[in-house]
Amino acid sequence: MNGQVTLPTSGSEALRLVSVRKVYGTDGTQVTALDGVSLSLRKGTFTAVMGPSGSGKSTLLQCAAGLDRPTGGKVFVDGAEMSGGSETELTKFRRRRIGFIFQQFNLLPTLDVLQNATLPLRLAGRKADRRYARDVLTRMGLGDRLRHLPAELSGGQQQRVAIARALVTNPSVIFADEPTGALDTRSAREVLGLLMRAVHEHGQTVVMVTHDPVAASYADSVVFLADGRLAGELDRPTAEAVAERMTHLGDRTARRDETEV
Amino acid sequence: MFGLALRSLRHRAGGFLATFVSMVFGAAMVMAFASLLDTAMGDGVPSTSRTSLVTMATVVGGWGLIMVVFSVTSTLTLVVRQRGDEMALLKQVGATPMQIGRMIVVETAVVALAAGLAAILPAALAGRGLLSLLVSSKRVDGGIHFAFGPYALGIGLGVTFTAAITAAVIAVRGTVRTRAAESLRNAATGDARMSRKRKAAAVFFLVLGASLAVTTATAMRGKGSDAMQTAGQTSIWVSIGLALAGPVLIGRVTAALARPLERMGGVPAYLTVQYVRRRAGRLAGTLMPIILFTGIATGTLYMQSIENAATAASGAVATADEKTIETLNFTVIGMLVVFSAIMLINTLVAAMTYRQSESARQRLVGVTPGQVLRTVIVEGVILTLLGVVSGAVAGLFTIVPYSIARTGHALPDIGAGTYLAVVAAAAVLTLGTGVGAALRTIRVPAVEAVTR
Repeated sequence: MNGQVTLPTSGSEALRLVSVRKVYGTDGTQVTALDGVSLSLRKGTFTAVMGPSGSGKSTLLQCAAGLDRPTGGKVFVDGAEMSGGSETELTKFRRRRIGFIFQQFNLLPTLDVLQNATLPLRLAGRKADRRYARDVLTRMGLGDRLRHLPAELSGGQQQRVAIARALVTNPSVIFADEPTGALDTRSAREVLGLLMRAVHEHGQTVVMVTHDPVAASYADSVVFLADGRLAGELDRPTAEAVAERMTHLGDRTARRDETEV
Repeated sequence: MFGLALRSLRHRAGGFLATFVSMVFGAAMVMAFASLLDTAMGDGVPSTSRTSLVTMATVVGGWGLIMVVFSVTSTLTLVVRQRGDEMALLKQVGATPMQIGRMIVVETAVVALAAGLAAILPAALAGRGLLSLLVSSKRVDGGIHFAFGPYALGIGLGVTFTAAITAAVIAVRGTVRTRAAESLRNAATGDARMSRKRKAAAVFFLVLGASLAVTTATAMRGKGSDAMQTAGQTSIWVSIGLALAGPVLIGRVTAALARPLERMGGVPAYLTVQYVRRRAGRLAGTLMPIILFTGIATGTLYMQSIENAATAASGAVATADEKTIETLNFTVIGMLVVFSAIMLINTLVAAMTYRQSESARQRLVGVTPGQVLRTVIVEGVILTLLGVVSGAVAGLFTIVPYSIARTGHALPDIGAGTYLAVVAAAAVLTLGTGVGAALRTIRVPAVEAVTR
């Protein structure tokens, strides 16, 4: 175990969760998706979050990224506490500090590649720095596609536009929710390579939810989640080690389910 | 397929609500006017009254028929289009286009039957109301007994059913034919370009309107209120022509307004301009009822004002025929208002549902709920402006020739009050519905909306 899951108070911390809980549903049919998760991630790290389906990994990501409100606990991004205020305040908080990459890309279909990538800058009221956005897009291998619409691109290309969109604002943390889930193996490798370079060459912080051990092996470390709780972590993961741990977690969950029934 | 049709109907009762409502309205309207025929055929109805009743029933009822087909087609097309995913799925598991078409037609037939039956009671009440209106305005003799019989039921149910099936076939043809890859391409390249057929139809209706306008101003000059026969329909044809040209109008005007809009409205305006330009074809469906409403209402109302002013100026007293025509004009306007409103609300709500995932994506990127709302308002303003200006142009095609024919002056000496009232109604309907639908969209958490 390294120091990542402890709670350091240094200024090099990009993300910090303190006893985050998320309960869905009303009385009677309540489901606890997150059961007091505490976590701290340093700047410039690439972390994968893994767990069996229903373990709460997507909920964790959404709560940490301000897309959903935790039922309890606190979230700090780059030292600032996520406001519990209105949807508008939360949106503005997200805009400044967080980038998000989705499984289904979620590009705006009526904007072209360059417009999609510069949208976060426009929203933040910053002058759309076209040259920087163009640089990032070129880095993503999309330099000759700037005027194309998302529907004219392959899945891999669309995801690279989404990565560029997340990078242009230089956010404190980039969250990626199964970013390779809708891609073929080759495109997936490209996307993961780009995320890795963003961390190691440009100092970004990336948190990625995935169920794919190979994808997780691109990360610096893997955090495991089971039944809404942290269930250990793995440094410098290999695909085999991750797969083995996952099988173990799956078995444990299945056994518990059986005894409950 | 019949079983599937019924099951799918039960699961999306909400989606068919707009279709059902417009069918009930249409059926009730047609039945109410057709009941005047039943009444006219009654024993002891004097022949002059009989003529009035039959004229009223056929003229206004005929317009009703056209409006029923129009509104049912518009609502159905949207219902069908919204189900693109479901149909693609059915195709994948092996349903032929024919089978899918049959499913939609059966669904529609069931809805039409239910709507026809639901319309009987309101139609009987409306028919009775119409008769008492005609009696009190001395268009027909008092003491005539109201009858609701074979004409009302036969014509009402027949028209509703025929209109519904026709509309279903039209709606299905377009959707079932397009392949998935094709519709994707359309989305990619923007759909502002119009098909050759649509272009030809637009030109045809505009030329028809122009030639009728010339006829009114020249051949009908000095023929008194007879000029209404050509003048009255002119604004309708021009409105239809302009509505068909909608995609091009939207594309051009938005391109021209892009810079000033973005300067004033910031990011929401920027997003709207991009959206409207790429989706001009789809938004033309929303523009259509606004143009029809403004164009026909403005044209007919001003024409009647010119007529009344001219009659008053000549010192003559309006004859019974002229009075009947006035009542007819106002009845047509009334029906038109109701139908345009249904069509407009329906297309707007459907468009918003369609856009739900798009607004959700905007919000995930960091667009605040307030900004999403502003994009909808900017869109509504663009559509309203385009609609009321086009409508005014269409209205002028009736007003100017009629004024020339009746008074010799190109422009009538009547204030802009009526037009402003029509514009206000169009604006309230468009913006009210748009904002209402948008507010509902915003309430759904973005993460949920996008995965739905």
